[in-house]
Amino acid sequence: MSAGRHDMGDRLHVVFEDRIAPWRRRLGAVLVWGGAAVMVAVFALLALGRFGLIALDVPNWRPALYAYLAWAVAFCTAQVLTRGERGKRALFILPAVLFVVAMVVFPLIFAVAIALSDWNLSSLSGPRFNGLDNFRQMLSDPFYWNAMRNMLWYTGMISVEYVIAFGLALILAGQIRARKFFRVAFLLPLMLSPVAVSWMVGKSMLEVRFGPVARLARELGWERPSFFGDPLIARLTIEAMDAWTYIPFMMIMLLAGLQAIPRELTEAAEVDGASAWRRFWEVTFPLMLPVSITAILIRIIFKLKLADIIINVTSGGPGGATDSVTSFIFREYRDRSNVGYGTLLALVYLVVIVVAITVFMKLVDRWMNPRY
Amino acid sequence: MRREIYEAMMKAGKISRRNMLKGAAATGAVAAFSGVSTGVSVRPAWAAAHESLRAAILKIPGVGMGSPTDADWQKVGEMCMGPVKEVVAEGEFKGVELTFMGLNNQNLHNFLFRGFLKPWERYTGAKINWIDLAQADYNARLQQSIATGTVDFDILEMGAPFEGDVLGRGMASEMPGWVADIIDMDDYVDYLKAPVGTWNGKTHRVSIDGDCHTFAYRTDYFGPGSVTGRDVPKTWQEVNEITKALKGKTDPLTGLEAYGYLDPLKGWGGFGFYFIENRATAYVKKPGDPVWLFDPDTMKPLVNTPGWVQAIQDVMDLIAADVYPPDQINADPGTTAFQQFLAGTGSMLMWWGDVGSNARTSDTSVVGDVVGFGINPGSERYYDRATGQWVNEYNEAPNMAYIGWGIYVMATVDGDPKKKKAAWSAAAHLGGKDISLWASAYPSGFQPYRNSHFNYDEWEAAGYDRAFIEDYLGSNRDSYNHPNAAIEPRIPGIFQYYSVAEDELAKGFAGQYASAQETADAIAAAWEKITDQIGREQQLKLYRASLGL
Repeated sequence: MSAGRHDMGDRLHVVFEDRIAPWRRRLGAVLVWGGAAVMVAVFALLALGRFGLIALDVPNWRPALYAYLAWAVAFCTAQVLTRGERGKRALFILPAVLFVVAMVVFPLIFAVAIALSDWNLSSLSGPRFNGLDNFRQMLSDPFYWNAMRNMLWYTGMISVEYVIAFGLALILAGQIRARKFFRVAFLLPLMLSPVAVSWMVGKSMLEVRFGPVARLARELGWERPSFFGDPLIARLTIEAMDAWTYIPFMMIMLLAGLQAIPRELTEAAEVDGASAWRRFWEVTFPLMLPVSITAILIRIIFKLKLADIIINVTSGGPGGATDSVTSFIFREYRDRSNVGYGTLLALVYLVVIVVAITVFMKLVDRWMNPRY
Repeated sequence: MRREIYEAMMKAGKISRRNMLKGAAATGAVAAFSGVSTGVSVRPAWAAAHESLRAAILKIPGVGMGSPTDADWQKVGEMCMGPVKEVVAEGEFKGVELTFMGLNNQNLHNFLFRGFLKPWERYTGAKINWIDLAQADYNARLQQSIATGTVDFDILEMGAPFEGDVLGRGMASEMPGWVADIIDMDDYVDYLKAPVGTWNGKTHRVSIDGDCHTFAYRTDYFGPGSVTGRDVPKTWQEVNEITKALKGKTDPLTGLEAYGYLDPLKGWGGFGFYFIENRATAYVKKPGDPVWLFDPDTMKPLVNTPGWVQAIQDVMDLIAADVYPPDQINADPGTTAFQQFLAGTGSMLMWWGDVGSNARTSDTSVVGDVVGFGINPGSERYYDRATGQWVNEYNEAPNMAYIGWGIYVMATVDGDPKKKKAAWSAAAHLGGKDISLWASAYPSGFQPYRNSHFNYDEWEAAGYDRAFIEDYLGSNRDSYNHPNAAIEPRIPGIFQYYSVAEDELAKGFAGQYASAQETADAIAAAWEKITDQIGREQQLKLYRASLGL
């Protein structure tokens, strides 16, 4: 312990000053890197054995877990050895960090390994490493790219949903009768499970012979109403059901944003003689942009996961016209037990989503904060 | 019997008050006969009093006395213990624990098994732990257990189509001879006899169910003076002719548009493929040859051969003629049966044996008494894959879609003779001849599957309406015992083939392929990929084994 510690002004934060001996630093480094090397070696051996590249019977991956735990202990010990008191403080948080890292990193490693393997659950030989074959198969898979195109279409329709949500939010922000009732009523679809929407709306209300919507359509002169027969109409119907469920979500976010805008701003514009349209376009809308971007961003994430309504109502038909990437992966994985290929599709989709969202945010950032 | 049939029969008043009273009186008699009500375990002299035992169990709880409860299942289980007691001594399996994996459908499947096996547990001293699975989770759980080698169950309830996955990997125990003696396998309907339930000549399955597709039609559409003026069609050619001729006509019952045959044009998790099979079997399955889906020498798909292409073309013809109800492209088999046929849309349908009875008596049905049953339509000609020629002869081949549930014992028990005997005796108890009669007659989730189940006198004596039962069971019996029944190959991943075929058919029906041939070629290509992925050599070997070749 250093005698100089009493000179420290802030006794609450620095209890004592460590002088770390060189041997401690060296031992710490040996523990960290040696432990890591052992862990990597165990992983590599298990992986090679698992894929049949070496003769090693690997009943499960438990040795890898033990290697990780051993490394974690070594890493924590090394913190104290090499950093003294500061290392001890790190111990308060390190176990949690290592646990979280394990929960994220290990599944990702396994997912990548599975994505790079040919694994059909019905195959007697189990998973076989096949490199980028799954990726190449994806590049020429018409079902996947058809679903991707559909996702672009569905995502594009968010612009229409946004306009409707904004309109509803403006109405609810205004002084209308029964405002509270309408706020709750408009929120109701969001509370419904998409599966319930599929059955109540897709299978019952849109039933072509007895469904009330079909009856109304006949009354209006559509002789043989069909909501899922034509590819475009089917896609629009699916989009309408999904939009009906999630427009309230955007609406409620936009409404919160509208209520946060100081009334003085619009009143000042009104005093200056701005028309209602100009007050909206030049005051309200620009002020609403950050909220709007957030709402749209979250909506895009929701939209990219669209699957339940499609699985329940159309199974992706007619002829793939309503298929989404997720519903396609569902069929590939669940109905066809094609675990390797299904995992690769899911991972690629994840990467596409992350990249697309990042690019979108960058573009928005540049647009909203131009750097001249 | 499927629960919905039973409930529909009750609601439709098929059971009279007299029958109910008869049932109640009989139940009392049964209680006195068996001693169950006094808590005294009895050993009915089952061999001598076999007929009276069957009559007695059919009175529990009595037709018209409400749905059976756990107490009823236990009573039936107790009364049917005779065969087990002949080979197992009391307390013989004390200390043995078995795990049973099956479905948890409300008051069906595992619920029944629990009740049936309670007296078995009491008598033998064994204990059973249960793994209950939702129907939707079943396939995935089973596949994962198989693929990852984590078989944590000793007894398995499984559909025969998965035999390739399980028996093909040698994961099931071979049935001991004494089990075969107890369950009387000669009584099975023909199609459930070997090779179903067997692998490489060894028997592994105790059948508890039967499945097949039968033809349901509207009687008011056929006969002199009817809307078609024709007899009930016997061939797919007639079915298509009638369907086209009905365009523009009016349904005699609902006053709405009349429609003919209802093809489901949308996939159903693989199960939708059974419906194109219904059309194809008549064209491709010839008598004396079990082969109709894959070439047994190369594993090459037959799905793009002329017979199959004709079946797809038949559907495309009806699409082109615009004779289906609107949105048929989005109709799966559930829709065609329950939203269309039952509701009075369409006049002809293929479905599992039980939907016809529902159509006749269900609350939601408007077709009421105008429903009739028959077997899978045939064809005026069939394609002979051996000669590569069409043969202009009538051919019919009922489709045994899904084959039916069975009880299997896993090979994990083979190392422990006591455990093995315990597991097999539990399986034998569930698949016993008498207990299965009860399961056929009351809600259980299972269809009749033994020739002895078609003794209509027993049903009538139990209080069922004879005409109804004959109608309901007749089409099943005729299909089951048909000499040219089409039985699907029990190879690994069979539902993967069906699922991918559904996707390609959906594209074909939506007009994304130029022709039926192109659609069939796409299916064949996708099937080849699956075969290669699972392993062609292995698939071929298992396919041939499943055919008994």
